[in-house]
Amino acid sequence: MRSQTVILDIAARPLYWLILAASVWVLLRGHNEPGGGFIAGLVAVSASILWAVAHDSAEARRRLPLRDPLRLATAGVMLAALSGLPALLLGNAYLTHLWATLGLGITELKVSTVLVFDLGVYLCVWGALAGYALALLSLDDDAEHPGGWQ
Amino acid sequence: MAGISEGQTGGLDWWERSLFIALPAIALGLVLWKLLLLELPLRASWSWIPALGIDLVFHIDGLSALMLLMITGVGTAVFVYAGGYLAGHPGQRRLYVLLSLFMAAMIGSVTADHLIVLFMFWEATSVLSFLLVGFDHERAESRRSAQQALMITGAGGLALLGGFILLGQTTGTYVISEIVVVLPGLSATPQLTAALVLILIGAFTKSAQFPFHFWLPNAMAAPTPVSAYLHSATMVKLGVYLLARLDPGFGEWPLWELALKGAGSITAAWGMVLALRERDLKRILAWSTVATLGTLVTLVGLRGEGATVAVGTLLLAHALYKAPLFFVAGNIDHGTGTRIIDRLGNLRHAMPWTAAAALLAGASMAGMPLSFGYIVKDVILEAKSAGDVFALAKAANTVFGAVAVAVAGVAAVRVFWRHPGVNVTCEAHEGSPALFVPPLILALVGITLGVFPFFAQELIAGATGAMTSGAEAVAFSLALDFGPALGSLLATLAIGAVVYLTWDPLHAVFERTASRVGRVGMAAQFERLLLLIPLVAAVATRALQNGRLPTYVALAVGSVAFVLGAAFASGWTDLSWPAMGGPAGGGLLGACALIVIGALAVLLQRNRFVLLLAAGLVGYGSGLLFLFTGAPDVAYTQFTVETVFVIVVASVLLSLKRLGRPNCLDEPLWRPGAFILATVFGIVITALLLVATAGSFDTDLSQFFAENSVPEAYGRNVVNVILVDFRALDTLGEITVVLLSLLAALPVLQALRRARNQEGEAR
Repeated sequence: MRSQTVILDIAARPLYWLILAASVWVLLRGHNEPGGGFIAGLVAVSASILWAVAHDSAEARRRLPLRDPLRLATAGVMLAALSGLPALLLGNAYLTHLWATLGLGITELKVSTVLVFDLGVYLCVWGALAGYALALLSLDDDAEHPGGWQ
Repeated sequence: MAGISEGQTGGLDWWERSLFIALPAIALGLVLWKLLLLELPLRASWSWIPALGIDLVFHIDGLSALMLLMITGVGTAVFVYAGGYLAGHPGQRRLYVLLSLFMAAMIGSVTADHLIVLFMFWEATSVLSFLLVGFDHERAESRRSAQQALMITGAGGLALLGGFILLGQTTGTYVISEIVVVLPGLSATPQLTAALVLILIGAFTKSAQFPFHFWLPNAMAAPTPVSAYLHSATMVKLGVYLLARLDPGFGEWPLWELALKGAGSITAAWGMVLALRERDLKRILAWSTVATLGTLVTLVGLRGEGATVAVGTLLLAHALYKAPLFFVAGNIDHGTGTRIIDRLGNLRHAMPWTAAAALLAGASMAGMPLSFGYIVKDVILEAKSAGDVFALAKAANTVFGAVAVAVAGVAAVRVFWRHPGVNVTCEAHEGSPALFVPPLILALVGITLGVFPFFAQELIAGATGAMTSGAEAVAFSLALDFGPALGSLLATLAIGAVVYLTWDPLHAVFERTASRVGRVGMAAQFERLLLLIPLVAAVATRALQNGRLPTYVALAVGSVAFVLGAAFASGWTDLSWPAMGGPAGGGLLGACALIVIGALAVLLQRNRFVLLLAAGLVGYGSGLLFLFTGAPDVAYTQFTVETVFVIVVASVLLSLKRLGRPNCLDEPLWRPGAFILATVFGIVITALLLVATAGSFDTDLSQFFAENSVPEAYGRNVVNVILVDFRALDTLGEITVVLLSLLAALPVLQALRRARNQEGEAR
């Protein structure tokens, strides 16, 4: 889908990063407030779709982390699967999450394997649904843009 | 097995081949070493799936040791032989890898002492057999035979699993050595009878017993090393092994005895008769293998120690003469290019070593004195004269013995000595030593054991002890004794000689009869059954998958309404309107208004874009509803999903429009059928909601999560804590499914786009 609207083109640039930032925020607050990896991933997908509508889906695909939806989704699943391994090393059941608190002077930061797991969910949802959406959007791309698909 | 790369150069280097051959050779050495040094039985056990009570229990007693010797001994011969038989073949590595895996699976099968573990290895041998029979996967016949073998043994495997589970549940243990102790004390409950029948089906399919006998000769599409290994010496004996293993437990059951003796006798006699119909040397040998398996099953079914001794002896002897004969058939094929016995003859000059191996193995098969086959004959005779053998078994044994002599004559004498009318064997030649040394050695072992049977005595005694329920040692001696066996031998030899001499006229009679009767055999019935499957599938597909979305939606909605409606109709409870908790807020009312407006707009519109937007309105309305009823997580998800959905579908609709497809629905606005369906569905769903809200809400789980979310998982968002912590494994599974669905969808979407581009070019 080729957009000819200059306004959308210009607006998409800041909006893309704004939506992604929002998705990261939704991801990070997820453990205590409404949010989490699933929703954050969906928000990120809408950023990719925005880019695909404003420019074209091949470009939106290239802007994904790892430059490919399938690779992104695979990385997400692997990350989530790996987040359960440290528990095994400590003799706990797989996917028993570990928590640690880092002192940062004024405040303290809680880090955990939960966040790694949720990040995996986020990346998988982003990659997989962006894969579907971009593939469907690119149905309309003409043969003039051979790079549009893989 | 596509992942195994096949070298560009063709076959394997000699050192690679040696590495593969070393596998069974080392295994054989280990088995021999353990047998000589260690006291049987050996036991080993590891915990595997403790939650299900499945442990990796292995138990090696005399019977397992006998099987192990055959698996590794014949295995070594087969691995050597395969090196010569497929020299330079591009698939040689694949064959070796598959054969090695198969050997491992066989070793596992005959040592496992846990029903489920045994089943696992059993299935592995079926799958590997499929891959090996279909080794020449470019030939349609190979593929068909492989499929047939897999379907029969696979279906049998399913029955076996059912039988194993029933047996394990009823006896309270899955450990085989415990089951055979417990079983005789139990009465014949329906569950146990069902288990018995299912296990029999499993064992009969594996060991090609009537009525599942026909897959084995068809499996001869496999390369010779595979036929010699899987379909004569080892895998097909697994069924016999299982029956012998369970015999101490089920032995006293009349059904068990009847089934074993009946099916075994029919198979033994019928297999030999069918051997007369064949002209292909390998298929003749295959039918005689079927008949031997039948004899083995009959012997397992017979009571008394003599029969048990006979099972062990025949198991060993058959491996020692049938595997070499298969090798001989392979050598003839290799050297002359054909296995059709009409075109073969007088090969002894061209292939002297093969001829020698054939003679030795044939002598054992015919039961000549000074061969191990003679000892077997003696033992079987003793077993059958001792027990209460019914006439069928005796008759079957006579047919079996006589035709065995004739088959041995064809394989060992006719093709090597007879002067044929048409000789097309002028280019016949002996293969490399790898081709004639293995059969010679195996056949020589058979003869050695015939002259000095006491070598095998301890082995057979161990196997017999494992197959008898009592712990007492079985007293017997394998000895070369020219007693009554000689008389019976002379009789079988005489009949066998007549059959051998009249082989061609007999064959002509069979062909004439067969052409008159038509194809009524089990194989033909099975093929007919197989042909039905695609027909039924085609009819069902045309009816259900007609490519029209309204049909799919109607089917889905209709079946949900039907199932739920039937559930309500059967257990009708009083439906009461839930009490409203005070006046609803403005937000809620607004959300409901959005949903209603969207739904009404959907009803009235025919333009696809407007329809999509109206449907989006319903989605956003539900999102708002979630937001105002205290489920912000769900609301978030609903909003984002709805947005993504509307945009993607809109773009697809746009491209449809560009393709010149109409923008409006072609169905009429008013469709009575759809109206009734929608109304019924609405009523059923409303009723479902009323039922769901009427019952008292069980708060145990939500309370648990609410209470433990912060102290145990350090999170206040219960929904997220459940997703990433309490049920993290489920979430991992879900995101894996999401990934896999993309993996499956991408090629389809890609093809769609390609078709779309081609269409564009054509215009």
